[in-house]
Amino acid sequence: MTRLREAAPRLTVNARLTTSLLAALGAIVTIPQSASAQTAFTLPAPPFELPMLPSASGNWTVMVGIGGEYRPEFAGSNNGKFLPIPIFSIRRSGSIEQFRGPRDSASIALLDVGNFRAGPAFKYVDSRKSDKYSELTGLGNVDAAYELGGFVEYYLVDWLRLRSELRQGMGGHTGTVADVSADVIVPLIQRLTISAGPRFTWKSTNAVAPYFGVDAVQALASGLPRYDARGGAHSVGFGSQISYRINPQWEVHAYVEYEKLLGDTADSPLVKLRGSSNQTTVGVGASYSFDFRIR
Amino acid sequence: MRRIAFLWIGLTAFCIALGAAAAFETRASRIQAIKTVGIVSAIGEEISLTRAGLTGLGEAAQSSSISAWGLDELIVQQATRLLSGRFRVQPVTYRRAAFAAIRDSVVAPVNLLRSDPFKELVRSDVTPQGLDAYIVITRARSKLGNGRNIEGVGLAEYRTLLADYGLIHALYEVRVIDGKSFDVIDKRAAAPLDNTGTVRVGGPSGQVDGPFEKAGSSEGLRAAIADLIVRSLPLTLGDMHLIDDP
Repeated sequence: MTRLREAAPRLTVNARLTTSLLAALGAIVTIPQSASAQTAFTLPAPPFELPMLPSASGNWTVMVGIGGEYRPEFAGSNNGKFLPIPIFSIRRSGSIEQFRGPRDSASIALLDVGNFRAGPAFKYVDSRKSDKYSELTGLGNVDAAYELGGFVEYYLVDWLRLRSELRQGMGGHTGTVADVSADVIVPLIQRLTISAGPRFTWKSTNAVAPYFGVDAVQALASGLPRYDARGGAHSVGFGSQISYRINPQWEVHAYVEYEKLLGDTADSPLVKLRGSSNQTTVGVGASYSFDFRIR
Repeated sequence: MRRIAFLWIGLTAFCIALGAAAAFETRASRIQAIKTVGIVSAIGEEISLTRAGLTGLGEAAQSSSISAWGLDELIVQQATRLLSGRFRVQPVTYRRAAFAAIRDSVVAPVNLLRSDPFKELVRSDVTPQGLDAYIVITRARSKLGNGRNIEGVGLAEYRTLLADYGLIHALYEVRVIDGKSFDVIDKRAAAPLDNTGTVRVGGPSGQVDGPFEKAGSSEGLRAAIADLIVRSLPLTLGDMHLIDDP
Protein backbone atom coordinates (compact mmCIF):
# COMPACT_ATOMS: atom_id res chain seq x y z
CA MET A 1 0.00 0.00 0.00
CA THR A 2 1.29 3.36 -0.91
CA ARG A 3 1.91 5.55 2.07
CA LEU A 4 1.86 9.24 1.58
CA ARG A 5 3.61 11.87 3.54
CA GLU A 6 3.85 15.59 3.08
CA ALA A 7 6.95 16.13 5.14
CA ALA A 8 9.68 13.62 4.74
CA PRO A 9 11.23 12.10 1.65
CA ARG A 10 11.76 8.42 1.25
CA LEU A 11 15.38 7.76 1.87
CA THR A 12 17.33 4.72 0.95
CA VAL A 13 19.74 3.04 3.30
CA ASN A 14 22.49 5.29 2.02
CA ALA A 15 20.58 8.27 3.30
CA ARG A 16 22.30 7.93 6.64
CA LEU A 17 25.34 9.35 4.86
CA THR A 18 23.12 12.16 3.66
CA THR A 19 21.99 12.88 7.17
CA SER A 20 25.56 13.06 8.38
CA LEU A 21 26.48 15.37 5.51
CA LEU A 22 23.54 17.63 6.17
CA ALA A 23 24.37 17.75 9.85
CA ALA A 24 27.91 18.79 9.00
CA LEU A 25 26.72 21.49 6.61
CA GLY A 26 24.13 22.60 9.12
CA ALA A 27 26.86 23.04 11.70
CA ILE A 28 28.79 25.26 9.31
CA VAL A 29 25.87 27.44 8.29
CA THR A 30 23.37 28.03 11.05
CA ILE A 31 20.46 29.94 9.63
CA PRO A 32 16.98 30.03 11.13
CA GLN A 33 14.46 28.01 9.17
CA SER A 34 11.14 29.74 9.05
CA ALA A 35 7.82 28.31 8.10
CA SER A 36 7.75 28.48 4.35
CA ALA A 37 4.25 27.64 3.28
CA GLN A 38 3.13 31.19 4.05
CA THR A 39 3.68 34.15 1.80
CA ALA A 40 5.70 36.97 3.33
CA PHE A 41 3.11 39.61 2.52
CA THR A 42 0.15 40.32 0.27
CA LEU A 43 -0.12 43.21 -2.14
CA PRO A 44 -3.34 44.56 -3.60
CA ALA A 45 -4.05 43.87 -7.25
CA PRO A 46 -2.45 46.44 -9.56
CA PRO A 47 -4.82 49.13 -10.83
CA PHE A 48 -4.29 48.00 -14.40
CA GLU A 49 -3.19 44.98 -16.40
CA LEU A 50 -1.35 44.91 -19.67
CA PRO A 51 -3.15 43.60 -22.72
CA MET A 52 -2.05 40.13 -23.96
CA LEU A 53 -0.34 39.38 -20.66
CA PRO A 54 -1.76 37.19 -17.88
CA SER A 55 -3.03 38.78 -14.71
CA ALA A 56 -0.44 39.46 -12.01
CA SER A 57 -2.65 37.94 -9.32
CA GLY A 58 -1.22 34.95 -7.48
CA ASN A 59 1.96 34.00 -5.69
CA TRP A 60 5.37 35.26 -6.74
CA THR A 61 8.83 34.22 -5.62
CA VAL A 62 11.57 36.80 -5.14
CA MET A 63 15.19 35.74 -4.81
CA VAL A 64 17.74 38.20 -3.44
CA GLY A 65 21.33 37.51 -2.61
CA ILE A 66 24.92 38.46 -2.92
CA GLY A 67 27.82 36.73 -4.52
CA GLY A 68 31.43 37.42 -5.22
CA GLU A 69 33.75 36.43 -8.00
CA TYR A 70 37.52 36.41 -8.09
CA ARG A 71 38.59 36.53 -11.71
CA PRO A 72 41.41 37.79 -13.92
CA GLU A 73 41.67 41.57 -14.06
CA PHE A 74 41.36 41.38 -17.84
CA ALA A 75 41.46 38.59 -20.41
CA GLY A 76 44.99 37.18 -20.28
CA SER A 77 45.91 38.82 -17.00
CA ASN A 78 48.12 37.17 -14.43
CA ASN A 79 46.42 38.98 -11.56
CA GLY A 80 42.96 38.64 -10.16
CA LYS A 81 40.33 40.99 -8.83
CA PHE A 82 37.30 40.47 -6.64
CA LEU A 83 33.89 41.61 -7.84
CA PRO A 84 30.68 41.58 -5.80
CA ILE A 85 27.73 40.23 -7.76
CA PRO A 86 24.16 41.01 -6.73
CA ILE A 87 21.63 38.22 -7.15
CA PHE A 88 18.03 39.11 -7.88
CA SER A 89 15.20 37.37 -9.64
CA ILE A 90 11.43 37.45 -9.55
CA ARG A 91 9.25 34.75 -11.00
CA ARG A 92 5.81 33.30 -10.60
CA SER A 93 5.81 30.70 -7.82
CA GLY A 94 6.16 27.23 -9.18
CA SER A 95 8.29 28.05 -12.18
CA ILE A 96 11.28 25.79 -11.90
CA GLU A 97 14.88 26.91 -11.94
CA GLN A 98 16.90 25.07 -14.55
CA PHE A 99 20.53 24.04 -14.17
CA ARG A 100 22.78 26.90 -15.17
CA GLY A 101 26.53 26.94 -15.61
CA PRO A 102 28.60 29.94 -14.47
CA ARG A 103 29.78 30.58 -18.03
CA ASP A 104 26.33 30.39 -19.59
CA SER A 105 25.12 33.55 -21.27
CA ALA A 106 21.78 35.02 -20.38
CA SER A 107 19.34 33.06 -22.50
CA ILE A 108 15.68 32.30 -23.07
CA ALA A 109 14.50 28.87 -24.21
CA LEU A 110 11.99 29.57 -26.95
CA LEU A 111 12.08 25.95 -28.04
CA ASP A 112 11.70 23.44 -25.24
CA VAL A 113 10.94 19.79 -25.83
CA GLY A 114 12.10 18.58 -22.45
CA ASN A 115 15.62 17.35 -23.12
CA PHE A 116 16.33 19.79 -25.97
CA ARG A 117 16.16 23.54 -25.59
CA ALA A 118 17.15 26.40 -27.85
CA GLY A 119 16.75 30.14 -28.02
CA PRO A 120 18.49 33.50 -28.08
CA ALA A 121 21.52 34.22 -25.89
CA PHE A 122 23.18 37.44 -24.81
CA LYS A 123 26.47 38.21 -23.10
CA TYR A 124 27.93 41.47 -21.91
CA VAL A 125 31.71 41.81 -22.06
CA ASP A 126 33.06 44.56 -19.85
CA SER A 127 35.18 47.35 -21.30
CA ARG A 128 38.97 47.30 -20.85
CA LYS A 129 40.52 50.53 -19.71
CA SER A 130 44.23 50.75 -20.34
CA ASP A 131 44.82 53.20 -17.50
CA LYS A 132 43.45 50.82 -14.88
CA TYR A 133 46.26 48.26 -15.09
CA SER A 134 49.93 48.89 -15.72
CA GLU A 135 50.20 45.86 -18.02
CA LEU A 136 47.83 47.59 -20.45
CA THR A 137 49.67 50.88 -20.64
CA GLY A 138 49.82 52.03 -24.23
CA LEU A 139 47.40 49.44 -25.54
CA GLY A 140 44.38 51.72 -25.66
CA ASN A 141 40.87 51.17 -24.41
CA VAL A 142 38.45 48.52 -25.65
CA ASP A 143 34.79 49.46 -25.34
CA ALA A 144 32.22 47.19 -23.77
CA ALA A 145 30.98 44.53 -26.16
CA TYR A 146 27.51 43.10 -26.54
CA GLU A 147 27.36 39.57 -27.86
CA LEU A 148 24.03 38.46 -29.27
CA GLY A 149 23.30 35.02 -30.67
CA GLY A 150 21.70 31.75 -29.79
CA PHE A 151 22.15 28.61 -27.76
CA VAL A 152 21.21 24.97 -28.01
CA GLU A 153 21.41 22.50 -25.18
CA TYR A 154 20.66 18.83 -25.08
CA TYR A 155 20.27 16.53 -22.11
CA LEU A 156 21.45 13.13 -23.24
CA VAL A 157 20.18 11.96 -19.85
CA ASP A 158 18.90 14.09 -17.00
CA TRP A 159 22.42 14.38 -15.54
CA LEU A 160 24.43 15.17 -18.68
CA ARG A 161 24.04 18.51 -20.40
CA LEU A 162 25.68 19.44 -23.69
CA ARG A 163 25.46 23.11 -24.54
CA SER A 164 26.65 25.28 -27.35
CA GLU A 165 26.39 29.01 -27.94
CA LEU A 166 27.13 31.07 -31.02
CA ARG A 167 27.25 34.83 -30.56
CA GLN A 168 28.10 37.84 -32.69
CA GLY A 169 29.82 40.74 -30.99
CA MET A 170 28.93 44.42 -31.28
CA GLY A 171 30.72 47.39 -29.80
CA GLY A 172 34.11 46.54 -28.31
CA HIS A 173 34.58 43.67 -30.72
CA THR A 174 32.74 42.66 -33.86
CA GLY A 175 33.77 39.04 -34.05
CA THR A 176 32.05 35.69 -33.64
CA VAL A 177 32.31 33.59 -30.50
CA ALA A 178 31.38 29.92 -30.13
CA ASP A 179 31.25 28.16 -26.76
CA VAL A 180 30.86 24.43 -26.30
CA SER A 181 30.51 22.81 -22.90
CA ALA A 182 29.45 19.61 -21.23
CA ASP A 183 28.30 19.26 -17.64
CA VAL A 184 27.79 16.14 -15.62
CA ILE A 185 25.21 17.10 -13.01
CA VAL A 186 25.17 14.81 -10.01
CA PRO A 187 22.51 15.36 -7.36
CA LEU A 188 24.02 13.81 -4.24
CA ILE A 189 20.74 14.45 -2.56
CA GLN A 190 18.02 16.63 -3.98
CA ARG A 191 19.32 19.70 -2.15
CA LEU A 192 22.99 19.18 -2.88
CA THR A 193 24.15 19.12 -6.48
CA ILE A 194 27.65 18.96 -7.88
CA SER A 195 28.41 19.52 -11.54
CA ALA A 196 31.55 19.55 -13.60
CA GLY A 197 32.68 19.35 -17.18
CA PRO A 198 34.96 20.52 -19.98
CA ARG A 199 34.68 23.75 -21.94
CA PHE A 200 35.95 24.92 -25.31
CA THR A 201 35.78 28.35 -26.93
CA TRP A 202 36.44 29.39 -30.50
CA LYS A 203 36.72 33.03 -31.53
CA SER A 204 37.09 34.75 -34.88
CA THR A 205 39.85 37.24 -35.61
CA ASN A 206 37.60 40.23 -34.98
CA ALA A 207 36.74 38.83 -31.54
CA VAL A 208 40.35 38.43 -30.37
CA ALA A 209 42.25 41.20 -32.16
CA PRO A 210 41.01 44.09 -29.98
CA TYR A 211 42.10 42.29 -26.82
CA PHE A 212 45.23 40.41 -27.85
CA GLY A 213 46.56 42.18 -30.94
CA VAL A 214 49.23 44.88 -30.73
CA ASP A 215 49.35 47.34 -33.64
CA ALA A 216 52.28 49.55 -34.56
CA VAL A 217 51.16 52.52 -32.49
CA GLN A 218 50.40 50.32 -29.48
CA ALA A 219 53.76 48.62 -29.88
CA LEU A 220 55.53 51.96 -29.66
CA ALA A 221 53.45 53.10 -26.69
CA SER A 222 53.53 49.87 -24.74
CA GLY A 223 56.94 48.44 -25.48
CA LEU A 224 55.39 45.18 -26.59
CA PRO A 225 56.23 43.72 -30.01
CA ARG A 226 53.75 44.22 -32.81
CA TYR A 227 51.38 41.27 -33.03
CA ASP A 228 48.46 40.24 -35.25
CA ALA A 229 46.11 38.04 -33.26
CA ARG A 230 44.06 35.79 -35.51
CA GLY A 231 41.00 33.78 -34.71
CA GLY A 232 40.76 30.09 -34.00
CA ALA A 233 40.66 27.87 -30.95
CA HIS A 234 40.64 30.35 -28.10
CA SER A 235 40.63 28.25 -24.95
CA VAL A 236 39.92 24.91 -23.37
CA GLY A 237 38.97 24.55 -19.78
CA PHE A 238 37.16 22.84 -17.01
CA GLY A 239 34.49 24.06 -14.68
CA SER A 240 32.78 22.78 -11.58
CA GLN A 241 30.12 24.07 -9.25
CA ILE A 242 28.34 22.98 -6.12
CA SER A 243 25.00 24.24 -4.89
CA TYR A 244 23.24 23.44 -1.66
CA ARG A 245 19.70 24.39 -0.78
CA ILE A 246 19.78 24.71 2.98
CA ASN A 247 16.02 25.04 3.18
CA PRO A 248 13.32 26.30 0.83
CA GLN A 249 14.52 29.87 1.43
CA TRP A 250 18.30 29.71 1.57
CA GLU A 251 20.65 28.50 -1.12
CA VAL A 252 24.43 28.70 -1.27
CA HIS A 253 26.70 27.92 -4.20
CA ALA A 254 30.32 28.01 -5.23
CA TYR A 255 32.10 27.43 -8.51
CA VAL A 256 35.47 27.38 -10.17
CA GLU A 257 36.21 27.80 -13.86
CA TYR A 258 39.66 27.19 -15.30
CA GLU A 259 40.57 28.24 -18.82
CA LYS A 260 43.79 27.60 -20.73
CA LEU A 261 44.27 30.10 -23.52
CA LEU A 262 45.31 28.60 -26.85
CA GLY A 263 46.70 29.53 -30.23
CA ASP A 264 47.19 33.15 -31.17
CA THR A 265 45.59 34.27 -27.94
CA ALA A 266 48.12 32.41 -25.83
CA ASP A 267 50.95 33.60 -28.06
CA SER A 268 50.01 37.26 -27.71
CA PRO A 269 52.82 39.29 -26.14
CA LEU A 270 50.31 40.68 -23.68
CA VAL A 271 49.76 37.14 -22.40
CA LYS A 272 53.30 35.82 -22.84
CA LEU A 273 55.20 38.79 -21.46
CA ARG A 274 52.78 40.45 -19.07
CA GLY A 275 50.09 37.92 -18.31
CA SER A 276 49.30 34.25 -18.19
CA SER A 277 47.52 31.72 -20.36
CA ASN A 278 46.04 30.15 -17.22
CA GLN A 279 42.82 31.90 -16.34
CA THR A 280 40.92 30.92 -13.22
CA THR A 281 37.64 32.27 -11.89
CA VAL A 282 36.27 31.38 -8.49
CA GLY A 283 32.86 32.44 -7.24
CA VAL A 284 30.61 32.03 -4.23
CA GLY A 285 27.12 33.25 -3.49
CA ALA A 286 24.16 32.98 -1.18
CA SER A 287 20.54 33.80 -1.89
CA TYR A 288 17.30 34.04 0.03
CA SER A 289 13.91 33.39 -1.55
CA PHE A 290 10.53 34.43 -0.28
CA ASP A 291 7.02 34.40 -1.65
CA PHE A 292 4.56 37.23 -1.79
CA ARG A 293 1.07 37.31 -3.07
CA ILE A 294 -0.77 39.71 -5.31
CA ARG A 295 -4.46 39.69 -4.57
CA MET B 1 14.61 69.84 -27.80
CA ARG B 2 15.07 67.84 -24.62
CA ARG B 3 11.79 69.23 -23.26
CA ILE B 4 9.94 68.01 -26.35
CA ALA B 5 11.50 64.57 -25.96
CA PHE B 6 10.35 64.42 -22.33
CA LEU B 7 6.88 65.51 -23.40
CA TRP B 8 6.70 62.73 -25.96
CA ILE B 9 7.93 60.17 -23.41
CA GLY B 10 5.35 61.37 -20.89
CA LEU B 11 2.57 61.28 -23.47
CA THR B 12 3.53 57.76 -24.53
CA ALA B 13 3.62 56.57 -20.92
CA PHE B 14 0.21 58.12 -20.30
CA CYS B 15 -1.26 56.40 -23.36
CA ILE B 16 0.20 53.04 -22.31
CA ALA B 17 -1.19 53.46 -18.79
CA LEU B 18 -4.57 54.47 -20.15
CA GLY B 19 -4.66 51.52 -22.52
CA ALA B 20 -3.58 49.17 -19.77
CA ALA B 21 -6.23 50.52 -17.42
CA ALA B 22 -8.81 50.03 -20.15
CA ALA B 23 -7.63 46.44 -20.60
CA PHE B 24 -7.98 45.77 -16.89
CA GLU B 25 -11.45 47.21 -16.93
CA THR B 26 -12.31 44.95 -19.80
CA ARG B 27 -11.11 41.77 -18.06
CA ALA B 28 -12.65 42.67 -14.70
CA SER B 29 -15.90 43.84 -16.22
CA ARG B 30 -16.14 40.77 -18.42
CA ILE B 31 -15.89 38.51 -15.38
CA GLN B 32 -18.35 40.74 -13.54
CA ALA B 33 -20.84 40.34 -16.37
CA ILE B 34 -20.77 36.54 -16.30
CA LYS B 35 -23.94 34.97 -14.93
CA THR B 36 -23.99 31.42 -16.31
CA VAL B 37 -21.01 29.12 -16.67
CA GLY B 38 -20.33 25.58 -17.81
CA ILE B 39 -17.37 23.57 -16.57
CA VAL B 40 -15.16 21.38 -18.74
CA SER B 41 -12.49 19.17 -17.16
CA ALA B 42 -10.05 16.96 -19.04
CA ILE B 43 -7.01 16.17 -16.93
CA GLY B 44 -7.75 12.83 -15.33
CA GLU B 45 -7.73 10.14 -18.00
CA GLU B 46 -4.09 9.16 -17.67
CA ILE B 47 -1.41 9.01 -15.02
CA SER B 48 2.22 9.35 -16.01
CA LEU B 49 5.18 7.70 -14.35
CA THR B 50 8.38 9.71 -14.80
CA ARG B 51 11.91 9.29 -13.52
CA ALA B 52 14.44 12.12 -13.37
CA GLY B 53 17.79 12.86 -11.79
CA LEU B 54 20.31 10.03 -12.00
CA THR B 55 18.49 7.96 -14.57
CA GLY B 56 19.71 5.56 -17.21
CA LEU B 57 19.58 6.05 -20.95
CA GLY B 58 16.17 5.60 -22.51
CA GLU B 59 14.11 5.72 -19.34
CA ALA B 60 11.12 7.32 -21.00
CA ALA B 61 8.00 8.27 -19.13
CA GLN B 62 5.22 5.70 -19.03
CA SER B 63 1.52 6.26 -18.67
CA SER B 64 -1.53 4.24 -17.80
CA SER B 65 -5.25 4.85 -17.82
CA ILE B 66 -6.98 6.07 -14.67
CA SER B 67 -10.32 7.00 -16.19
CA ALA B 68 -12.00 4.80 -13.58
CA TRP B 69 -10.78 7.17 -10.86
CA GLY B 70 -13.31 9.78 -11.90
CA LEU B 71 -10.97 12.72 -11.31
CA ASP B 72 -12.63 14.91 -13.91
CA GLU B 73 -16.02 14.29 -12.34
CA LEU B 74 -14.49 15.26 -9.01
CA ILE B 75 -13.07 18.48 -10.48
CA VAL B 76 -16.39 19.44 -12.05
CA GLN B 77 -18.14 18.70 -8.76
CA GLN B 78 -15.66 20.75 -6.74
CA ALA B 79 -15.60 23.64 -9.18
CA THR B 80 -19.39 23.66 -9.31
CA ARG B 81 -19.54 23.86 -5.53
CA LEU B 82 -17.02 26.68 -5.41
CA LEU B 83 -18.48 28.72 -8.26
CA SER B 84 -22.12 28.27 -7.35
CA GLY B 85 -21.94 31.08 -4.83
CA ARG B 86 -21.35 33.58 -7.59
CA PHE B 87 -22.45 32.01 -10.89
CA ARG B 88 -25.23 29.79 -12.08
CA VAL B 89 -23.35 26.64 -13.06
CA GLN B 90 -24.99 24.56 -15.76
CA PRO B 91 -23.95 21.01 -16.68
CA VAL B 92 -22.35 20.68 -20.10
CA THR B 93 -21.40 17.75 -22.32
CA TYR B 94 -18.22 17.52 -24.33
CA ARG B 95 -15.74 15.00 -25.74
CA ARG B 96 -13.19 14.78 -22.96
CA ALA B 97 -10.63 13.03 -25.15
CA ALA B 98 -10.67 15.93 -27.62
CA PHE B 99 -9.80 18.41 -24.87
CA ALA B 100 -7.18 16.09 -23.38
CA ALA B 101 -5.48 15.65 -26.75
CA ILE B 102 -4.53 19.32 -27.17
CA ARG B 103 -0.92 20.13 -26.33
CA ASP B 104 1.01 23.38 -26.19
CA SER B 105 3.53 23.89 -28.96
CA VAL B 106 7.14 23.26 -27.93
CA VAL B 107 8.01 26.56 -29.61
CA ALA B 108 6.96 29.07 -26.98
CA PRO B 109 6.22 32.04 -29.29
CA VAL B 110 3.78 29.89 -31.26
CA ASN B 111 1.60 29.63 -28.16
CA LEU B 112 1.55 33.40 -27.87
CA LEU B 113 0.83 34.06 -31.52
CA ARG B 114 -1.63 31.34 -32.44
CA SER B 115 -5.25 31.35 -31.49
CA ASP B 116 -5.91 29.38 -28.32
CA PRO B 117 -6.91 25.90 -29.54
CA PHE B 118 -9.45 25.47 -26.74
CA LYS B 119 -11.53 28.36 -28.07
CA GLU B 120 -12.48 26.46 -31.20
CA LEU B 121 -13.10 23.29 -29.26
CA VAL B 122 -15.47 25.04 -26.87
CA ARG B 123 -17.30 26.52 -29.84
CA SER B 124 -17.61 23.22 -31.69
CA ASP B 125 -17.70 20.58 -29.00
CA VAL B 126 -19.48 21.83 -25.90
CA THR B 127 -23.22 21.75 -25.49
CA PRO B 128 -25.22 23.69 -24.65
CA GLN B 129 -23.85 26.79 -26.34
CA GLY B 130 -24.88 30.24 -25.29
CA LEU B 131 -23.71 30.30 -21.68
CA ASP B 132 -21.91 33.46 -20.60
CA ALA B 133 -18.61 31.64 -20.07
CA TYR B 134 -17.00 28.23 -19.96
CA ILE B 135 -14.44 27.24 -17.36
CA VAL B 136 -12.01 24.84 -19.05
CA ILE B 137 -9.62 22.82 -16.88
CA THR B 138 -6.88 20.97 -18.71
CA ARG B 139 -3.40 19.57 -18.13
CA ALA B 140 -0.47 21.86 -17.43
CA ARG B 141 3.21 21.10 -17.84
CA SER B 142 6.25 21.53 -15.62
CA LYS B 143 9.92 20.65 -15.52
CA LEU B 144 11.15 17.87 -13.30
CA GLY B 145 14.90 17.82 -12.86
CA ASN B 146 16.71 19.17 -15.90
CA GLY B 147 15.62 17.30 -18.97
CA ARG B 148 12.18 15.94 -18.16
CA ASN B 149 8.77 17.46 -18.67
CA ILE B 150 5.84 16.23 -16.64
CA GLU B 151 2.21 17.12 -17.12
CA GLY B 152 -1.22 16.45 -15.71
CA VAL B 153 -1.65 13.76 -13.12
CA GLY B 154 1.35 11.67 -12.37
CA LEU B 155 3.81 10.02 -10.13
CA ALA B 156 7.46 11.00 -10.39
CA GLU B 157 10.67 9.76 -8.92
CA TYR B 158 13.76 11.92 -8.56
CA ARG B 159 16.88 9.82 -8.16
CA THR B 160 20.00 11.14 -6.52
CA LEU B 161 23.21 9.43 -5.54
CA LEU B 162 22.24 8.98 -1.92
CA ALA B 163 18.46 9.02 -1.87
CA ASP B 164 15.39 8.70 -4.06
CA TYR B 165 12.43 11.01 -3.74
CA GLY B 166 8.91 10.30 -4.93
CA LEU B 167 6.14 12.76 -5.53
CA ILE B 168 2.66 12.91 -6.93
CA HIS B 169 1.48 15.83 -8.99
CA ALA B 170 -1.74 17.22 -10.36
CA LEU B 171 -0.73 19.95 -12.80
CA TYR B 172 -3.58 21.76 -14.44
CA GLU B 173 -4.54 25.12 -15.86
CA VAL B 174 -7.84 26.92 -15.88
CA ARG B 175 -9.22 29.03 -18.72
CA VAL B 176 -12.22 31.28 -18.64
CA ILE B 177 -13.60 31.39 -22.17
CA ASP B 178 -16.24 33.89 -23.19
CA GLY B 179 -19.39 32.06 -24.24
CA LYS B 180 -20.23 34.50 -27.03
CA SER B 181 -16.95 35.61 -28.57
CA PHE B 182 -14.97 32.57 -27.36
CA ASP B 183 -12.09 34.82 -26.34
CA VAL B 184 -9.94 33.59 -23.48
CA ILE B 185 -10.79 36.05 -20.72
CA ASP B 186 -8.22 34.63 -18.31
CA LYS B 187 -5.89 31.67 -18.06
CA ARG B 188 -3.99 30.46 -15.00
CA ALA B 189 -1.94 27.38 -14.10
CA ALA B 190 -2.52 26.03 -10.60
CA ALA B 191 0.38 27.07 -8.39
CA PRO B 192 2.24 24.82 -5.95
CA LEU B 193 0.41 24.41 -2.66
CA ASP B 194 3.54 25.38 -0.73
CA ASN B 195 7.25 25.66 -1.27
CA THR B 196 8.35 23.22 1.40
CA GLY B 197 8.83 20.22 -0.86
CA THR B 198 12.26 18.73 -1.35
CA VAL B 199 11.52 18.17 -5.04
CA ARG B 200 9.87 21.14 -6.66
CA VAL B 201 7.52 21.13 -9.60
CA GLY B 202 5.48 23.93 -11.05
CA GLY B 203 2.09 23.00 -9.65
CA PRO B 204 0.25 21.14 -6.90
CA SER B 205 2.36 18.23 -5.69
CA GLY B 206 3.08 16.20 -2.60
CA GLN B 207 5.74 13.76 -1.56
CA VAL B 208 5.06 10.08 -1.69
CA ASP B 209 6.53 7.09 0.04
CA GLY B 210 5.81 3.75 -1.49
CA PRO B 211 6.48 1.34 -4.31
CA PHE B 212 6.73 3.37 -7.52
CA GLU B 213 5.67 0.64 -9.92
CA LYS B 214 2.48 -0.34 -8.13
CA ALA B 215 1.27 3.12 -7.34
CA GLY B 216 -1.07 3.35 -10.33
CA SER B 217 -3.47 0.84 -8.81
CA SER B 218 -3.47 2.28 -5.35
CA GLU B 219 -6.61 3.76 -3.86
CA GLY B 220 -4.35 5.74 -1.55
CA LEU B 221 -2.73 7.36 -4.55
CA ARG B 222 -6.11 8.30 -5.98
CA ALA B 223 -7.09 9.85 -2.66
CA ALA B 224 -3.84 11.80 -2.48
CA ILE B 225 -4.25 13.18 -6.03
CA ALA B 226 -7.84 14.10 -5.25
CA ASP B 227 -6.63 15.88 -2.12
CA LEU B 228 -4.18 17.96 -4.19
CA ILE B 229 -6.99 18.98 -6.52
CA VAL B 230 -9.46 19.74 -3.75
CA ARG B 231 -6.92 21.92 -1.91
CA SER B 232 -5.55 23.74 -4.94
CA LEU B 233 -8.74 24.47 -6.87
CA PRO B 234 -10.07 27.16 -4.48
CA LEU B 235 -6.68 28.91 -4.54
CA THR B 236 -6.52 28.89 -8.32
CA LEU B 237 -10.08 30.10 -8.80
CA GLY B 238 -9.44 32.72 -6.11
CA ASP B 239 -6.34 33.96 -7.93
CA MET B 240 -8.51 34.37 -11.02
CA HIS B 241 -11.04 36.38 -9.00
CA LEU B 242 -13.74 33.84 -9.83
CA ILE B 243 -14.42 33.24 -6.15
CA ASP B 244 -13.64 35.23 -3.05
CA ASP B 245 -10.23 34.49 -1.56
CA PRO B 246 -10.46 31.18 0.31
